[in-house]
Amino acid sequence: MTGRKRPPITNRVRELRERHGQMSQAALGDAIGVTRQTVVAIEKGHYSPSLESAFRIARLFGVGVEDVFGWDEPPA
Amino acid sequence: MSYREMSAWVMGALTAALGLHYLSTYLDAAQGAGGAPPAAATFIPYVIVVVAASITAQIVLAILAPKRADTPPDERERPLLDRAGHWAGVIQAVLAVTALVTFMHREDGALLFHMIVGGLILAQVAEYALQIILLRWGS
Repeated sequence: MTGRKRPPITNRVRELRERHGQMSQAALGDAIGVTRQTVVAIEKGHYSPSLESAFRIARLFGVGVEDVFGWDEPPA
Repeated sequence: MSYREMSAWVMGALTAALGLHYLSTYLDAAQGAGGAPPAAATFIPYVIVVVAASITAQIVLAILAPKRADTPPDERERPLLDRAGHWAGVIQAVLAVTALVTFMHREDGALLFHMIVGGLILAQVAEYALQIILLRWGS
């Protein structure tokens, strides 16, 4: 849509959500203060959440931010 | 479908319908009195109907989804709505300048009035359309 290259950010949100008692996308959205559509966009890698939301997701699942999000690019 | 997108669909359809009504009124007037600006007695009630219909639509949406209606746009939606507003403003400015240039050439104040009102309506429809596109496919 915007023509910008997406940053190589990966995430395990869907996996953690399913491990967390099959939590729904709407429930995760409510818990961190975003819409279900935003959770969908995060899981698909179409949207990189703010640092605040990243921490909220990590804390909700009881893991560190780097356990949820990664930078999928070989070091220069 | 998110609440913002649903709201944009409803308000966009409503604004487009009211815009088409305005266009048909203009075309009728153009055939009769050479496209004179509408009399205050018809234009002011039209504006009141537009405002009342918009408020009613928002109330109906809020009744259908009270929790989601009460929630402000989130961090992904906010910049997308801002972007839609920005481009709608650009469209409105282009249409206003077009109306002014047309006035300079044709010196038709009635046409200027209709082009400005039409431009406002078109820009508003464009804003809702952009909101739908960006909320669905933008990020």
